[in-house]
Amino acid sequence: MKRSHIIYIIAIASFILPSCQKVIHIDLNSADPKYVIEGNISNQAGPQTIKLSKTVSFESSNVFPAVSSALVTVTDATAGITDTLQEGAAGYYSTVSMTGVPGHMYQLYVKAEGKVFTSTCTMPMPVTLDSLYISKSVFGNTRGAIVYTDPAATGNYYYFAEYKNSVLTDNIYIRSDELRNGQVIDQVLSRGGGESELNTGDYLTIAMECIDSAMYQYYFTLQQTKNQNAATPANPQSNIVGGALGYFSAHTVSSKSVLVN
Amino acid sequence: MFTLVFIFSSIIASAQKFTVSGTIKDKKSGEALIGATLVVVNDPTIGVVTNEYGYYSLTLPKGDYKLLFRYVSYNTQEIPVTLDKNTKLDIIAEPEDRQLKEVVVSSKVSNVRNAQMGMTKLNVQEMKALPVLFGERDVMKIVQLLPGVESAGDGNSGFYVRGGAIDQNLILLDEAIVYNPSHLLGFFSTFNSDALKDVTLYKGTAPAQFGGRLSSVMDVKMNDGNDKEYHVSGGIGLISSKLAVEGPIVKDKGSFLISGRRTYADIFLGLSPDTNINRSRLYFYDLNTKFNYKLTDKDRLFLSGYFGKDQLGLGSVFGINWGNATGTLRWNHLISPKLFSNTSLIFSDYNYNINVNNSGFSAKIHSEIRDWNLKEELDYFSNPKNTIRVGFSSIYHTITPGTITGANITTVGKPDNHTWENGIYISNAWKPNSRWNIDYGIRLSIFTVFGGSEMYELDAKGAIKDTLKYGKSDVVKNYINPEPRFSASYTLNENSSLKAAYTRNTQSLHLISNSTSSNPTDKWVATNNIIKPEIADLGSLGYFRNFKNNMYELSVEGYYKYSQNQIDYKDGANVLNNDAIEPKLLFGQGRAYGLEFSAHKTQGKFTGWISYTLSKTETQINGINNNQWYNARQDRTHNLSVVAVYEVNKKWTLSSSFVYYTGDAVSFPSGKYNINNQTVFYYTERNGYRMPSYNRLDIGATRQLAHRKHFTSEISFSVYNAYGQQNPYIITFQDDPNDASKTQALQTALFRFVPSVSYNFKF
Repeated sequence: MKRSHIIYIIAIASFILPSCQKVIHIDLNSADPKYVIEGNISNQAGPQTIKLSKTVSFESSNVFPAVSSALVTVTDATAGITDTLQEGAAGYYSTVSMTGVPGHMYQLYVKAEGKVFTSTCTMPMPVTLDSLYISKSVFGNTRGAIVYTDPAATGNYYYFAEYKNSVLTDNIYIRSDELRNGQVIDQVLSRGGGESELNTGDYLTIAMECIDSAMYQYYFTLQQTKNQNAATPANPQSNIVGGALGYFSAHTVSSKSVLVN
Repeated sequence: MFTLVFIFSSIIASAQKFTVSGTIKDKKSGEALIGATLVVVNDPTIGVVTNEYGYYSLTLPKGDYKLLFRYVSYNTQEIPVTLDKNTKLDIIAEPEDRQLKEVVVSSKVSNVRNAQMGMTKLNVQEMKALPVLFGERDVMKIVQLLPGVESAGDGNSGFYVRGGAIDQNLILLDEAIVYNPSHLLGFFSTFNSDALKDVTLYKGTAPAQFGGRLSSVMDVKMNDGNDKEYHVSGGIGLISSKLAVEGPIVKDKGSFLISGRRTYADIFLGLSPDTNINRSRLYFYDLNTKFNYKLTDKDRLFLSGYFGKDQLGLGSVFGINWGNATGTLRWNHLISPKLFSNTSLIFSDYNYNINVNNSGFSAKIHSEIRDWNLKEELDYFSNPKNTIRVGFSSIYHTITPGTITGANITTVGKPDNHTWENGIYISNAWKPNSRWNIDYGIRLSIFTVFGGSEMYELDAKGAIKDTLKYGKSDVVKNYINPEPRFSASYTLNENSSLKAAYTRNTQSLHLISNSTSSNPTDKWVATNNIIKPEIADLGSLGYFRNFKNNMYELSVEGYYKYSQNQIDYKDGANVLNNDAIEPKLLFGQGRAYGLEFSAHKTQGKFTGWISYTLSKTETQINGINNNQWYNARQDRTHNLSVVAVYEVNKKWTLSSSFVYYTGDAVSFPSGKYNINNQTVFYYTERNGYRMPSYNRLDIGATRQLAHRKHFTSEISFSVYNAYGQQNPYIITFQDDPNDASKTQALQTALFRFVPSVSYNFKF
């Protein structure tokens, strides 16, 4: 439903005749639970958090079991410092003293219930989000628009985390400098793929993350998985070794907020 | 001595043979008749079939003969001929009275006698009675009602033949390849049925003159145009209108045909109060033209062209247009009464353009595939037992993979890709005796990959290890594949026969698409150093039986197909962007087998057919589903079509069709998890689930309106999906909007109770 041509089909169909949606029941197999890692190391003040959970069957309610009592370490390979993370709330592991430094390489090590997962990610150099404003797009919806200056070097990738009233939305906005390297980018955040929309009175925060190419690929394929319009849907391409779902991202953050009016 | 002289003279007499040859044409329109039969009355095992240009040639011992002409929906004729010299005999065929014509879609050739199996000729004029979506008569949707052919989806004009993918169908319009035979995301085909003369579908068993696709050939030929008088015909429907004009350039020597069609859904869109819809652009148009001219008794020129375009757009922000253009110049030359030559120069082009214009950012994306093709073919009507066909086809392909340009942006693109596809072939239609009909031949395919575009070397994991440098004229690789083609029938008795066929086909252009619907931006990619030509071997066996003087035709065909070098994507591959495609692909094998049953009633007030296919289609690719065989998306166990047409009286004809098939094999999630505060579904295997089965009934009625001297018209009504079955077009998974703690499966159905009315006229 989310990509442009599907919208057109629906637009045509809904005009000429009503297309028809209904909830159906499908017997889906339940796979063995798989580990899910949501790992973020940023250049913001700590603590940094790594979240461990598991998959559940489709029929289950949206309660995802936390993975507790795991050994989680993050190593700044550039500086040669290792931090052993402490579990706070069940499944949430926080750094003790580590702060992310742009240009440094980070290694994740997770040992949970006898399984080992590792990952490596280099934090890109920071780019500042110069401004955030609200734009009524031609598609008729209200969206955030961002301004930033892409650095002269090629190979910059961005992920824009969208918070509506301080809650992370399901839109996944990503950009790369493939087409517009080194330019001032003033652009509406579109093609997020999520259901979340902005309304008057909402408080919008955009956290621009500079990510590496593997994380760009992760978010790109996460978008595809969510869109469900590929002939062969698949899981996102993870940068985690060992067979876990999810990601390990070392990134810089630059945020701005605005009130939708 | 006397005996010796007698024997000698009889040898001389038997050696004295003459050729009767000519063209068979429709009396009213002058259209040449393809595949018409002519047999000797006293010995019906001696005969000939007209070629693609209506030409026949029959060489017989000196004597007096009566030839019997037979062709569906034409009056049978007996033509006396005295053969004491080579004789030119053009036959004028008289169409049956319109009101008496009660045949629907039928094979124009007796299916018992013909050597070809897995072949159907559609009678374009006679499929008009069938109910259709939006009133658009569409040959590609009629084809889907045949055994062994499956629809690619609800309302979709794409089709799968014997488990083959959509890109494995060779779709030809007057010999030119049509790369994207669909309009509006697949809901309509590029073929305007008013301009068509003949549609032949070969289900993987095509003779040697066809090559380049694994699964089928759909050979579409345009009308030549009436060379006797001017005619205008047209139609007005809910979605589109069309108009065709034809007539002589010089009477009996040359004619022209121009036929156009345009949709007007966009006019309705403008009336919508919804700004999302009323600012949209959405239309397509087609233009078919053809000219032919008889230069001399031995030479005839044909020039035909097709041009079609789709436009989709939203204000000035986003636009996409795509279209095919083809052109064919042909020269028929009669070297001798027994040797017919055709030379064709063919141009074919498909391109798409995307324009994006969004807050200070504007970009254009252009992609194209362009062919120049030179073909030469000789038909040698050696004797009544052998007709030999020799020829070659040489296609130069240029693919522009998609360049992105625009103000303030870095131009992204890859150099054009050049390849050269050659085929040389020879085949013989052999009738050794009255029981056997054997077509055998071989095609040698030579595919040459030129440098100039980027070629890669991949490591064991499939990542790019090295970029290889080749000059533009360097030959990177030649692929040479001999393709044997064999098809035979053995007549058991007057009414039944057994047939067997074996064919090998190769395919060197591949459509890379990861979309559930037909998408104009699907990429054609040529074979190169990494992507190998696909190869398929198909064996089939069949039993054919007719009853009651061919009123009922029954057939059972079984097939087994094994394919090599099949292509699929790695999990999560993005095939839309401009990165090298090779690291995203995986290669493997395929197998498909099935049984096709068909029962036709071809005559009477009540006509129609039932076709049922039981089949299996599987793929095995290292890197997918633990290297095990898995169901291909188009693996449909059961596929049933029932078509019925009833002629109530001279004015009213009623029709209906019913379709049932097993749902596609698809990938559904086997779990879910949470990442970045949202539910994401977890997939474990490819094509491990099934869509619900599909079923649909369409009904239609056609009324002949007042018949004035030169003016005929009719009005057709139809309802597509008459009982409103909610056939899922797509099933998606999401959080329950009413209960955030739950997830749900949501199906979207598109077409239910779609009524349509169309009015067609001719004068």
